[in-house]
Amino acid sequence: MAGRREIFATGDSASAVLPREEVSLARGRRRDRLLSGNIRATLRYIRSIAVVLLVWSLIARRIGNHVLLPAPDRVARSLHRLWTGGDFIEDYLLSAQRLLTAYGAAALAAVTLGVTMGLNRIANEFFDPVVELLRPISALAWIPLWLAVIGISSTLPYLVIFYVALFPFLLNTIGGVRGADPLLIRAASTMGVSPRVIVRRVVLPDALPSVLTGARLAMGGAWMALIASELIGAPNGLGFSILFFGATLRTSDMIAVIVVVAFSGYLTDLLLRFLQRRLTPWKA
Amino acid sequence: MTGRGSRLQTAARSVAIPVLVVAVWQLWAGNLPSDSNVPVPSVVFEGALDLVRSGDLALAIWISIRRVLSGFLIALAVGVPLGLSMGMSPWLERNADPVVQTFRMIAPVALVPLAIVWFGPRGTAAVFIVAYGALFPIVLNTIAGVKEVDRLLVKAARTMGLKGRQLLRTVLLPGALPSVYVGIRIAMGLAWGAIVAAELTVGFKALPTAEGGARFGAGGGIGFMMFYLYDNSVSPDLIVVAIVAVGVVAYLTDRVLRYVGRKAMPWARL
Repeated sequence: MAGRREIFATGDSASAVLPREEVSLARGRRRDRLLSGNIRATLRYIRSIAVVLLVWSLIARRIGNHVLLPAPDRVARSLHRLWTGGDFIEDYLLSAQRLLTAYGAAALAAVTLGVTMGLNRIANEFFDPVVELLRPISALAWIPLWLAVIGISSTLPYLVIFYVALFPFLLNTIGGVRGADPLLIRAASTMGVSPRVIVRRVVLPDALPSVLTGARLAMGGAWMALIASELIGAPNGLGFSILFFGATLRTSDMIAVIVVVAFSGYLTDLLLRFLQRRLTPWKA
Repeated sequence: MTGRGSRLQTAARSVAIPVLVVAVWQLWAGNLPSDSNVPVPSVVFEGALDLVRSGDLALAIWISIRRVLSGFLIALAVGVPLGLSMGMSPWLERNADPVVQTFRMIAPVALVPLAIVWFGPRGTAAVFIVAYGALFPIVLNTIAGVKEVDRLLVKAARTMGLKGRQLLRTVLLPGALPSVYVGIRIAMGLAWGAIVAAELTVGFKALPTAEGGARFGAGGGIGFMMFYLYDNSVSPDLIVVAIVAVGVVAYLTDRVLRYVGRKAMPWARL
């Protein structure tokens, strides 16, 4: 990490003093070194995972019971079968749609409410106690109540994901808005900028890093909520497949679904991290 | 601004929305036909009194707390040594970090069916889920904590002849403690979420052999009690009582942890 940061530092200062060709040369070198760093990291990753797979297959062979612990190659075959058969892809798309819809709704609600609470003291006095009351209650604890009220249904995951994703988003937005540099706000209003524009051009950009941190936390929670709610209270989706394969003792199919879920969660986090670097390069 | 009137106003504002919500909810749900599934606030209150007085709620919470603590202690026993060694050895960190990061992506709840296959539909499965969920915040924060320890202090200690275990006990561990403690608080929050989900899901399987002889499946923990209340259509009002209880316990646990942290580590600004 330290090495990489140094490379960035020299590259950036170089662009200030060196002629253009040399800058591009330096950039090229930097990219080369970064690239070889990435390749090395990837190789290391593959090596570590290979060791895990090896240990896993040794244990699986020792146990010799594929219901208890299927060997990795069995799980790989399950993965292939799931992706080429029809039902699983349907479940996957359904879950993805639930996740994104509820997550988007939570983002919209949390940012609106968070900006309001962060800027307006009275709004904060109204809503803050509600947030503090609800926050310690795990969203998963609500599942049985929703079950009792609306029954096992496709609506349940939306409610649970929304609830889980809301709080990290909200608290980080409020924190970000409150942390916005008061000097900048005062400077803008001295120059006659309207409050609305101040919010859009000064407060929000200053709050963005914090909001994006909230976005990543919320996404992690949203995946967990999706799986838990589908596992307990939905008739379909990825969480339900895990339960179904578990209940029918198709352990290798179940592990395959878990692997897909974990990998998808990793990809969404990668995407959000990319957004973070793109939108707030001064923080990354 | 800080006058008496404004403080009253603040208090009024802070209770306004909860009171309004409960009032509207009572008016709406109280007038629904009696066979509806919507909990009614006044009945919730009666149910709470009943569950508290009979001791069922306390039993369910006690069983869940015991499981959370067992899982949590396992996570601590595995996570702190692992985090310490990963923080101290760059070689180990380079090679073990991909594994930790990969397994971290697996939501603990997703492992409940696997845990049931391994341990059967019992409390052990729930303990496993708690331990798994609590492990990662502890490991990652321990690694960060070791790295945060002032290098100069480590060098100074080495110069003075401290090595291995002594160095660990007198310099690295105290230096890393505040960060480990943050990991512990995060892990405890996750553990409570995980225990409820695990007991709920285990409930699907465990019902015929419900643990304990208490009412409403209280012997299976608070999550199982929720499942029992739902599955036997006992009453949605009692589910609300259980939800509130989960929130209260989570809140109190964090409070206790914060208190202990401040007392045990006065040097760290927490």
